[in-house]
Amino acid sequence: MTTAQPSSQTACAAAPSVAEVEASCRLPVLFLAFSGAAWLCAGAVLALLASVQLYQPAFMEGCAWVTYGRLRPAAVNALTYGFALQTAFALALWLIARLGRVELVAPLGLTIAAKFWNIAVTVGVFGILAGDATGFDLLEFPLYAALPLFASYACIAAWALVTLHRRTERELYVSLWFVLAALLWFPWILSTAQGLLLGWQVPGVVQAIVAGWFGNNLLQIVLTSFTLAVLFYFVPKAVKRPLANPGLVSAGFWLLLLIGGWCGLSQLAAVPAWIPSVSGAANVLVIVPVLALLVSLWQTADGKIAESWKSNATFRFLLVAAILLLGVTLCTAVFGGHYTQFTFFATARTDIVLLGVFGLAALGALHYIVPRLTTGEDELPSEGLSDLAFWAALFGVLAVGIGFSLAGFKQAAVGASAESKFLEGAVTGVASNLKLVTVGYGAMAVAALAFLVNFGLAARRCCLDCCGGAR
Amino acid sequence: MRYGPIIGAGALFSLACSWAALVMAPQLQLGALAPAPIPNTSDVHPALRPGLAAQGAEVYRSLGCYQCHTRQVRQDALLFGARLNDVGSNANTINLELPGSGKTNLVNLDLLIALAKARPDLGIAKVTVPPPLLADTNVVAALGQFTANLTLLKHADDKLDVVRPTSGPTVNDVVGNRPAEIFVKVAPETAESVVKLLTDSGAKAELVICNLGPDIERGWGARRSVARDFVNDTPVLLGSLRVGPDLASIGMRAPEKFAAPWKFAGTNTAAEVEHHLLVHLYNPRLLAPASTCPSAAYLFDKQKPEVRFAGEPLALPGKDAPVFPKHNARALVAYLLTQRTDVGLLEAPTPAVAKAAAPAKP
Repeated sequence: MTTAQPSSQTACAAAPSVAEVEASCRLPVLFLAFSGAAWLCAGAVLALLASVQLYQPAFMEGCAWVTYGRLRPAAVNALTYGFALQTAFALALWLIARLGRVELVAPLGLTIAAKFWNIAVTVGVFGILAGDATGFDLLEFPLYAALPLFASYACIAAWALVTLHRRTERELYVSLWFVLAALLWFPWILSTAQGLLLGWQVPGVVQAIVAGWFGNNLLQIVLTSFTLAVLFYFVPKAVKRPLANPGLVSAGFWLLLLIGGWCGLSQLAAVPAWIPSVSGAANVLVIVPVLALLVSLWQTADGKIAESWKSNATFRFLLVAAILLLGVTLCTAVFGGHYTQFTFFATARTDIVLLGVFGLAALGALHYIVPRLTTGEDELPSEGLSDLAFWAALFGVLAVGIGFSLAGFKQAAVGASAESKFLEGAVTGVASNLKLVTVGYGAMAVAALAFLVNFGLAARRCCLDCCGGAR
Repeated sequence: MRYGPIIGAGALFSLACSWAALVMAPQLQLGALAPAPIPNTSDVHPALRPGLAAQGAEVYRSLGCYQCHTRQVRQDALLFGARLNDVGSNANTINLELPGSGKTNLVNLDLLIALAKARPDLGIAKVTVPPPLLADTNVVAALGQFTANLTLLKHADDKLDVVRPTSGPTVNDVVGNRPAEIFVKVAPETAESVVKLLTDSGAKAELVICNLGPDIERGWGARRSVARDFVNDTPVLLGSLRVGPDLASIGMRAPEKFAAPWKFAGTNTAAEVEHHLLVHLYNPRLLAPASTCPSAAYLFDKQKPEVRFAGEPLALPGKDAPVFPKHNARALVAYLLTQRTDVGLLEAPTPAVAKAAAPAKP
């Protein structure tokens, strides 16, 4: 087990240089990162349009394609599969190549698989808008989009694992544990859920249980693991210190895998009571690994946080993502039970994990990776756009999270007493909170746009450097 | 750590644990769940949906209604009550009407004492007997027993410091007004002991259940939803967010329990419920001005469609011209009308409805 990131001394003689590693990453990682950010923008706009309909029902009325019941799942699935997972693949490939000191296997094949992934997501989003949603949260893509999605994932993951196998730096750093676990976890849960829900259909409420199990594993294990992989790579790098307390990290990693998969079913009602009880207990227990991992990060960065915040564009994103991870874990443990059942509170959790915990960490990492792979510099060309992306994303995540959470608490108070009027309290009464959510999604779209423009500027400069000289 | 396979095996083991607990165990427990027979009928609950309603389930899924509506009624507690159905008869039951008048007005004197013991908050009045009846030795004996029992009751009251109100309702009124709820929302032991007390006095009493919770008080269902309610559904659209009311029993919901104040002038027929739901689909704001439910006007034709069976036009409230519901609109409404939780199950009983008071004998 390493306490520091691999040093150049330990790499064997055949190891490729950093420039060679980055050259092999360039095409697939940049393609995945760009498409991911584009889907973030598109998904945020779809979610914005859907959220307006919650208090302005006449908005875009009269067309089945953009009714709330289709727009909202389209937005959530675009954000999950288009943005979150796609960006996660970009980060995973880059981390494997960098930490394993190895050139990516089949960069062109990876790019083609990524292209198919994007086509499948597009087909899936249009499928939902056309009314073919399956009806299971976070798994709404119809089978004709889900199967190509799985196939292109299989290609990406297989090439990623082959790359990992060929690494010249044999020691696996913590980030790679998380990447490896998430890369293996995702196909297992996806095939289980699709097999049991769309193929061999399990009877009755077992379907709802399987769907809830899948959704939780996707958020709590897969996306959180990619987030932690990013945190454990970039935080020690930003503060220029080795990772503190590796024993704690190891314990946190295994406990997160063991406990995390049990959360997420605490708000089902029409199921045997032991299921929400077990899940509620796991919601509380999962605080332990999350705290263990975050404490180790804090020990690594302690004393240099303020300095790194000012000097490092990536670190700001990561710090907020880590705080949000702690916040969402604690909030779910305390309030995620019976009281907030059937309210926007669960929506808040999904959106904070997607856009806040994973989203901010990924945007931060991309602010480091993209300039390395394009211009070769440390920072993206426009500092102003980087600042805009950070502050807009931060504001957007907080607005969406706080807006949905407050609306959830109001609804919970109404739901707890038959005297309070349902329509006035839980539907029209939360309009002000939902307006905040709309603004938040707008800010998220602005952040994605700012990053995309910055990305475009870097790519343009890169092209000018390469081809401009020859001209 | 140098070996990737260790991490892979560990991850597989962790996932297998969570899979065994949250996927396999529920399947073993619920996979064989079958519809339950409804007592005294040849029907089962839940019944298979008729064709139109089954198509409606697809419309419900396709339009994403489950994004805003749940179909799960919650229940906080199950409490019990005691209900008096009939006075019954025993040796101490006397008829207050004159013999030969052909009328009966039975008074179970033991029941009055038993009820007074059960309900210290009620007064107890003397039973006045028409003088001609006093010739009957049975009546005299019963009255004598009653007076003795009253004295014993008074002693017991004094011992327990019970002061019975001198005005207000008395046990005699309660007994005369059947079926009477003697207790509601009490612990099972209390309800059971009261029922025993009443049945020992010869009366016919029963234990009733009270399903409690905000959802049930709102009238969204008679009992909680359980796994068995969904054995015929695929996909199972439970819903996880209530931006609209719960739909678990919209097919049997009392008219005034809809989100919007909505009352029929006459009786609540299936055709009227269907009409209400169709209008709601066409434009929810016609029925509830504050509703945020999106209109499904695309499920309706403004002009009479050029098909052979266009169906009856839908009359809209206000000045709007009638519209023609398309097949999908009718299917969706048919599906909504199959949503019901009025059938009691072993795991989720429904309260027995009190039988209407027997018409007074002439």
